[in-house]
Amino acid sequence: MGELLATQQAKIETHPCYSKQAHQYARIHLPVAPACNIQCNYCNRKFDCSNESRPGVVSKLMSPAEAVARYQKVKMRIPETRVVGIAGPGDPLANPKSTIATLKAVAALKHELHLCVSTNGLNLLDHVDDLKAVGVDHLTITINCIDADIGSKIYPWVYFNHKRLRGRVAAQTLIDRQLAGLKAAADLGMLVKINTVLIPGINDHHVAAVAQEVKRLGAMLHNVMPLIAEAEHGTYFGLMGQRSPTESEIAAAREAAGQSMEQMSHCQQCRADAVGKLGQDCHADLDDDGSSACGTSALPAAERYIAVASQSGVLIDQHFGHATHFQVYQLTQAGIVRQPDRDVDQYCLGSTECDDESLNQQQRMSTLISSLEGCDQVLCSRIGMGPWQSLEQHGVTPSTDYAMQAIDEVLAIEWQRFCENSTQGTVSSEIGEVC
Amino acid sequence: MAFEITASCIGCNACKLVCPQKAITVGPKQYSILPHRCNECVGHHADPQCASICPVETAIVNAEGRALNPPGSLTGLPDERKVVALSKRRARL
Repeated sequence: MGELLATQQAKIETHPCYSKQAHQYARIHLPVAPACNIQCNYCNRKFDCSNESRPGVVSKLMSPAEAVARYQKVKMRIPETRVVGIAGPGDPLANPKSTIATLKAVAALKHELHLCVSTNGLNLLDHVDDLKAVGVDHLTITINCIDADIGSKIYPWVYFNHKRLRGRVAAQTLIDRQLAGLKAAADLGMLVKINTVLIPGINDHHVAAVAQEVKRLGAMLHNVMPLIAEAEHGTYFGLMGQRSPTESEIAAAREAAGQSMEQMSHCQQCRADAVGKLGQDCHADLDDDGSSACGTSALPAAERYIAVASQSGVLIDQHFGHATHFQVYQLTQAGIVRQPDRDVDQYCLGSTECDDESLNQQQRMSTLISSLEGCDQVLCSRIGMGPWQSLEQHGVTPSTDYAMQAIDEVLAIEWQRFCENSTQGTVSSEIGEVC
Repeated sequence: MAFEITASCIGCNACKLVCPQKAITVGPKQYSILPHRCNECVGHHADPQCASICPVETAIVNAEGRALNPPGSLTGLPDERKVVALSKRRARL
């Protein structure tokens, strides 16, 4: 720590995943890598990926050309976009052709950009030269352990050298390849960040050893992130009741790992198709009671709740029927406060079911409406007539007026409107933006 | 002699990338295996490649309809757990 070259320091300071201070720069993840070559017990390939709105998975496969087009569209709307990453939804290097093709095409635009890749490391050694040649300077490898006995509790199988390996052999193969890949990447001058998923009872006593070893091999930064395991995600850990770490366990693990590796703690665990600035929705600033650290302390006399269907997390770009969760914002005189997302069951399950007014459909609508309870307005890119009417009957006003517009801009407009309609006193204008 | 892809396929594209016979195609609705191209990897590899990388149990079956990755073989989850998870999902729909 501390012996970074000036050029490396500059690369860190402008990358939101590496530096907490870089949050004014935005990033886009391009989901061009659906295939994976290992299975992790905290991942369910059926639901826990950006291809999750199904059926129609196939049509959502993004080609390198489409990915570049998406980047250019986002860059126009969010000029601060400085980071283009490929992180999945599978493993980028299990899809080397489309990953490299996408990176090459983005690099050819000659924008001022960081290209980065996040990998499980199994195929890193084979492609590290290609990555370097195309200009990838930020690389993240997920290394959860350096001990095959621990690894066999995390990885049920690994596909390597045309075989599905299992048990200790699988874990050892993965670990060996990860560490060799890490060393090769660091030797080529890449900034290598290591992600470690903290799994209580499995690798929590082991993170210091991981940190020590990855430091020795040239990693720059360590991100110990908490396991996310819920039964409804259908993961092995979720279904088997493996618990997530507590805040104090995370802190203890970071401290232990921090003995040898610089730790980062602002990771938002983005999805493979994330877009925009890290934490721009400022939910990290929320107190437990949902009040905002950035608003005034005056108690609001009136409030309004807006639900937003967004796939990118930045634009209002999702069909109501395709949403699996809604972002919810509370508007008060004091400003706009992000509320916890509402998870819902997707309303539209495909063209075959969409047309009929089946009992199932009605049931889904009524559970959806109860999931959106308390919301006054729903903003989405499109919505069918049936759901529109049901929502109105339940006092929720749907709107597609803001389709494809940026969420924060739209909220600012709605907030202005809310304040004008309210009879409460004056409001300072500098909090028109989302926090 | 050819394998087939069932409706439980999630369309992750992994099999298509590793098939030595280029036998896997993407249709408008789902992935499928061209029977005249698939030779079950005989002469290429010891194990059929699609079935060796496929992350979903029962997504690839042989000519008799038998799953190459039967339930429980990939996730290690005991069957009753999966039944519970599935019924929970259905109950919420």
